Amino acid sequence: MKRIFSLIFLLTFTVISASARSALSGPPPSTAPVLNEQQRHADYIRRIDEVINFAAGGAKFKTDDPAKFDLVTIASKLVRGQDYERCSRRVIELMREPGTGPFWMFPTVCAAYVGRDRLTPAAQAAIREAWRTTRQVRGDTENHWMMYYASLYLMSELYPNDPAESWYTGKSSSENLAEARAYLIHWADLSTSMGQGEFNPTEYIGEYAIPLLFLASWAKDPVIKERGRLMLDWLFAELAANTLNGVLRGPNSRTTEGPVAERWNAMASDFSWMLFGNTPPTAGYGGWALYFAPVAKNYNVPEVIYRIATDRSADYLQRDRARTRRRWRYSDELSPLVYKTNYLRTDYAVGSTRGGMIDPIQSHVWDVTWAEADPRKKHNTMFSMHPHSSMVAMQSSFTCYPEPMIKAVTMEGKPTYDSPDKILGSSPYEQVFQDLDTVIALYDIPVGERFPHINGFFSKDLVKVTESPSGWIFAQGGRAYLAYRPLAGYTWTKYSHFAGGWAKVGLDLGGRILTSPHLKNGTIVQVASANEFPSFAAFQAAINALPLQFSLEPVPTVNFTTLRGKKVTCTYGQTPTVDGSPLDYSKWKLFEGPYLNSEVGSRRLTITHGQLERVLDLNALTATDRVRTP
Amino acid sequence: MVIKNITGPLVGLLLCSLGVAAPTPIPAYDFYVCANINRNYVIGSKIVTMNGVYRRDAAGAWQHFGYNDSGITAVAFDPRDHRVWYTSALNGLWRTLDGGKSWRMCNGWEMTEARDVAVDPNAPDHVYLALPDGVAVSTDRAQTLERRENGLPERGKYTQVIKVDRTQAGRVFAGCELGIYLTDDGAAHWRQVLPTKEMVTDIQQSPHDPQVWLAVTQNAGAWRSTDGGVTWINFPNVPTSRALYNVTFDVTQASRYAIGSWAHGVLTTEDGGVTWQDRNAGLPAPHRVWRVGVDPAGWLYASVFGETLYVSKDFGRTWRADALVGSVVNNFLILPRSVN
Repeated sequence: MKRIFSLIFLLTFTVISASARSALSGPPPSTAPVLNEQQRHADYIRRIDEVINFAAGGAKFKTDDPAKFDLVTIASKLVRGQDYERCSRRVIELMREPGTGPFWMFPTVCAAYVGRDRLTPAAQAAIREAWRTTRQVRGDTENHWMMYYASLYLMSELYPNDPAESWYTGKSSSENLAEARAYLIHWADLSTSMGQGEFNPTEYIGEYAIPLLFLASWAKDPVIKERGRLMLDWLFAELAANTLNGVLRGPNSRTTEGPVAERWNAMASDFSWMLFGNTPPTAGYGGWALYFAPVAKNYNVPEVIYRIATDRSADYLQRDRARTRRRWRYSDELSPLVYKTNYLRTDYAVGSTRGGMIDPIQSHVWDVTWAEADPRKKHNTMFSMHPHSSMVAMQSSFTCYPEPMIKAVTMEGKPTYDSPDKILGSSPYEQVFQDLDTVIALYDIPVGERFPHINGFFSKDLVKVTESPSGWIFAQGGRAYLAYRPLAGYTWTKYSHFAGGWAKVGLDLGGRILTSPHLKNGTIVQVASANEFPSFAAFQAAINALPLQFSLEPVPTVNFTTLRGKKVTCTYGQTPTVDGSPLDYSKWKLFEGPYLNSEVGSRRLTITHGQLERVLDLNALTATDRVRTP
Repeated sequence: MVIKNITGPLVGLLLCSLGVAAPTPIPAYDFYVCANINRNYVIGSKIVTMNGVYRRDAAGAWQHFGYNDSGITAVAFDPRDHRVWYTSALNGLWRTLDGGKSWRMCNGWEMTEARDVAVDPNAPDHVYLALPDGVAVSTDRAQTLERRENGLPERGKYTQVIKVDRTQAGRVFAGCELGIYLTDDGAAHWRQVLPTKEMVTDIQQSPHDPQVWLAVTQNAGAWRSTDGGVTWINFPNVPTSRALYNVTFDVTQASRYAIGSWAHGVLTTEDGGVTWQDRNAGLPAPHRVWRVGVDPAGWLYASVFGETLYVSKDFGRTWRADALVGSVVNNFLILPRSVN
């Protein structure tokens, strides 16, 4: 009996210790899905509480000194029922020097709403006064506007009958509300008809998820509240379908230098961890992502989305549309369409867009990313790119003059933009084709281009890197075999890792850049699971046996039979053909695959996994769940 | 209303302001700039310095007034009442009716990143706004705004500059990505009067002769019109290799113009554009000249990007550093002093 009690004590202690241990430093979580709904929800709440505890404990300052409380610490303390007086005093202090723009607005909204019945009247009045006196800048990107208008909407609803002179806009509450409401509806309609502008963002996912959660939680107008809820599901369904064990990989409209190499190390992982529990959180739980936590208990990720995120037992191909960033100049279209291909398997994933300019600075066009048991500090990816840097690209998307902008962006969180060895960015001179786990990227770089070469990323975490006399370079990453075929000569240089957008210096962590200084150029990558071959040598033999013909003049052309038996022809500037049939992108749906399906212009997304189905209908503003018959 | 044979340039400015034909005693003039002084501002960071509209006082010091915004691109005043003024800015168009005490953001979400603003001196309720995707017009002092782009290209209507002809109500020039466009009917219809392949960066009307206009461009050099902007002639001696950012007349001498350019610095002419001189001696190198302007006394100013304002009393032959350290000046403006 005594031994039984001891065993119970030991088990209890072990469970408590495990649950009390920070996910920041613990072992990576299991990627196996939690099938029990109650357990799944309890796990979600536990993770959210961990974030709230971190934020309430002073977040990055780790102090209980109220002079260091920021708005997320205050909001987190308030939801935990702590320190109302000290939080109120600190709010009054903070509101004496309000910030400008959306990154100040949404944290303030969070404190204002969480503090409605907790902050002192003086503190609430201080917040309200700041919205009268301080000019708020709306910004110039889609995520800025989402934060700005969600915040303006909620504050105007919180103070519904105030006159124009009481708002920095010089507009009454009802005028603010109407303007914000119109934009939020426009954004939701556009995104669900034509695709996301800032699709699959590694960092900016928070700038959408948090305002949407606020709207879903606090908006009074059901037209906005429901849109918030539905778009949150929409956003997380895309996240779920594009992650490999919680790690967002493949093409990104916008990302930063760090996550292009260390794919896990992005705010998207913090959302995967909070929602799906299948990857560790990043340092500080993602910074801005902290603002999700105080309100997160108002949201439950639908089971079908959770299942998509946590099931990589079967291969799947997902083809979707999106939009580029708005182009003011040098373009025949305001927002050209983006066509995304993503193929995910247990051991790796391959994803791409068709290339070309997407965002002027921060796009990531294609990659192979392999699964790692613990993705932290792993550079588990391979790709090539043209390091394009140009004033035209800047002027296309920014309302700027030509010369100062390139230097300016390097000082504004994009330090490598004008570096020849950068690995982040898209180029007008890159065209990409993908069929399942084959990628062909072709380059036709004009004479006079600032950086007349292409960069291939060869990770420090690749093993068995072998430069074959056949011209293929073979390697293994995790349980994936990779074959990389440069179409022109190359040299190797050290890879310098910038740990994030604001990083000042590059770190020598290992890894190499394949630099190919030829204007007519190309890369073929073919991937397979290690378990498909008896040995690495067998994989190499299989690749070497694949029919391949290519030429670089007058433009790069490749004829290749893929490992999966497809006969592919790609010529720069022309539509690729597969088994003799040209690809017809015009027939692509907004989403098409086993998990996400939507017709262009429909504003309706069907999310499926197994027998589970959830239909998000932005026309009727409904989410409908059903269990399909097998 | 067409006004001709005006000899006094400042009278021209006054007429521009008041919208009347009869010569009036020349009043004192105020000199304004729109200056961004905040270093390394990005969306979300704290604005730590005063930015926006500055006016030079009698002692030569720059006094800030209005609101603090690092994204103001231009300012325009109602000639009838200088308490009414407008700024083009990142959020769009802002208006004050009380001399800057209170403000209204005049546009909704459909308009953003306004590049320039102009008030029609002969129809002062009419306000024109240059936008990265076209032109907006108000006929009610910016209480409401509407798009008026008939005749502008569907693509290529990025509008950097908008200027109203002071001699005729509703006659407006828009400097766009694909050229200079002119309307004679308050933007109901536009027509192209100068095609370009890249942006028109500035257009200015002479304070001496309203038929004379200057324009500079990103890659097509500098241009002059002597027939009220209907036809344009290129200055062959002005370089076309790099962008010219703005151009200005000298209100004290009709034949003196100055051009500001990041790459070329300050270029001046004192013979009406026949010859041009490099006037960068005494300015920091590399040039990085963002704007040039001339004050009512004929002093030439150069805003060197992020550094300071420089001033020259001899039209660029010598320079000295002036105030507004760290600034980028987006706009110079001479305005008759108002009783308001």
